[in-house]
Amino acid sequence: MGLPVTTPTADLPRGGRARARSPWAAARLAVAAPFTRREGRELLFCLAAAPFAVVNPLTFFVLAVDLTWLAADSARGNPSPADLAIAGICLGLLLVLLVSTGAARRLGSLQRGLAIRLLGARVAAPPPARRSPAARAWPGPGPRDGAGWRVMAYLLAKLPVGLIELYAVFFWIGGLVNLSYPLWWGAFRNHPPGAWLSPVPVFTPFGLFGEGTFRVATLPGTFAAAATGAAMLLAAPWVTRAVTSADAWLIRGLLGPGRLAQRVRDLELSRALAVDDSAALLRRLERDLHDGAQIRLATLAMNLGMAREKLGDSGAVPDAAAARELVDAALRGAKDALVELRTLTRGIHPPVLDNGLTDALASLAADSVIPVELEVSIPVRPTPAIETIAYFCAAELLANAAKHSYANEIAIRAAGQRDALLLSVSDNGTGGADPARGTGLSGLAQRVAVVDGLLTIASPSGGGTMITVELPLRV
Amino acid sequence: MNVRVVIAEDAVLFRAGLTRLIEDHGHRVCAAVGDGGALLAAVAEHQPDVVVADIRMPPTHTDEGLRAALEIRRQHPRTGVLVLSQYIETKYTARLLEGNAAGAGYLLKERVADVAEFADALERVAAGGTALDPEVVGQLLRASRRAGGLAALTARERHVLALMAEGRSNAGIAAALVVTGGTVEKHVASIFDKLGLPPDEADNRRVLAVLRYLGS
Repeated sequence: MGLPVTTPTADLPRGGRARARSPWAAARLAVAAPFTRREGRELLFCLAAAPFAVVNPLTFFVLAVDLTWLAADSARGNPSPADLAIAGICLGLLLVLLVSTGAARRLGSLQRGLAIRLLGARVAAPPPARRSPAARAWPGPGPRDGAGWRVMAYLLAKLPVGLIELYAVFFWIGGLVNLSYPLWWGAFRNHPPGAWLSPVPVFTPFGLFGEGTFRVATLPGTFAAAATGAAMLLAAPWVTRAVTSADAWLIRGLLGPGRLAQRVRDLELSRALAVDDSAALLRRLERDLHDGAQIRLATLAMNLGMAREKLGDSGAVPDAAAARELVDAALRGAKDALVELRTLTRGIHPPVLDNGLTDALASLAADSVIPVELEVSIPVRPTPAIETIAYFCAAELLANAAKHSYANEIAIRAAGQRDALLLSVSDNGTGGADPARGTGLSGLAQRVAVVDGLLTIASPSGGGTMITVELPLRV
Repeated sequence: MNVRVVIAEDAVLFRAGLTRLIEDHGHRVCAAVGDGGALLAAVAEHQPDVVVADIRMPPTHTDEGLRAALEIRRQHPRTGVLVLSQYIETKYTARLLEGNAAGAGYLLKERVADVAEFADALERVAAGGTALDPEVVGQLLRASRRAGGLAALTARERHVLALMAEGRSNAGIAAALVVTGGTVEKHVASIFDKLGLPPDEADNRRVLAVLRYLGS
């Protein structure tokens, strides 16, 4: 489930997390990069671009122009405007056919599957096409399927991107070939001195075999070729990564659910969270009352009942000491029940919140065991629901900091911006807060998500914790 | 009458009060535990006359007390089971009695405040009788699908019926209504006659007959 918890390292892919700290480490990272498993997957993804460069509207168009040109003019001269028009109409029909039969969607899901499996891209499938009852007879999603047309747009963009991906593959192959030249030289060019040898072309990123490319004709020259190869291999991972990142961006934009559908999905998710949250809240409330005030009052009644018995029905009190002790216990029980109820009602809705978030946060800070530095500037009051969520976030984050961080200083900042409320709770403690461990932070993130808010965690191990909650001013 | 009791209740203060109350009435509390598993172990160890168990206990806080009570009724038929709860659920009552009202009771926790009545109910269950909360009986009376049949009863008879369903003997009903035993006997005979229930002397079979009539 996509909770809006973000951590600064969350978007870094696996394997890329080891940040280079020193030049030596950076060099090691650069040298090791071509040999990681991730690199292999990205290379595979680039290779898989080849068929998509063929199955492409642009390729189809060129093919259609050539065919009409061949049919109408026997490929003489240049294709006439009429040829182009006919080819355009054919292409249009073909695209409509691809989209409406659902073939486009299948192509898209193929490409999406590759990106998910090989690049680790996070992209959901578009929602199923909505069809009018009249169109049910047609087996595919119909010609008005936005997702299908977006696949076509992706394929169009895939042509240049795919070519660059194949170019990235060339970096690898060319680099390897260059690197192997000294070996080949030793094996096959071991001619007696004086024999003239035709120079061997060396692959460079700028050309293949044409004029002006780099050629070598001597054994030392092959070492220069090998050096070029090594340089290309070192550069190759970054070329691959750059182009696959661009492709993944395109895939997320064009092969995903689309903005409106994504929004609907997010809203469905947050509605489910809201319903779950309120059910959980009621259950907790019942539990608190059942195990707290209710049982305290039952105990109190029992003590009073026993005291009443000790007092006797009339006249002299048979066991005054025991009766007194029981009444004392009952009194204590009544006070405890009152405290418990007060805590509970305050937990449901703190009365101070009626005066605004500024006062509520101040009273929260005053109650804290660890000193709290408070900085609040909220020019426009948010709606009560937002104030309540912000207050409970602050309360829970404060409690978390007090419980887990070993901090001796906490800062709460709340700033109202044009249409957002930014609340941050930071401490100078041990850090290492992780939403995956324990339910506190992820529960908080859920509650924030219900109103389209965002919870960000920055908690490096040993470096303090700062948790920021961004909420809209109104729901 | 000296009764040996095992208590299962997770709220510490309530458990302590209950222990004191029961011991004040001259009974012996063999063990006071906090969850269903410990209750079963304590019953196996002490073989008490009666168990007082809270329905909702750790770890799940749902109905482990009731499940333990049913287990005890199956394994130790001679041990009476008095279940306490903060809610009245006729479903729970039905599960607890299930064809045999002997040595079973179901009371709201707050009934403990009427110390003498609670002690009386405890002793009744320990002796193989029945103790049902007036609230349970009231719910059954209200929910009874044959409520029409109750229309034939006089207000006094309906009151006697409710007390009978709680598990009281004729003497107990007479004490509660401040009348003589003979008067109660007359009412009971009239009730059985009007409802078409077989007259019977054993208290818990009486309860069962009433409950079956009300629950059907």
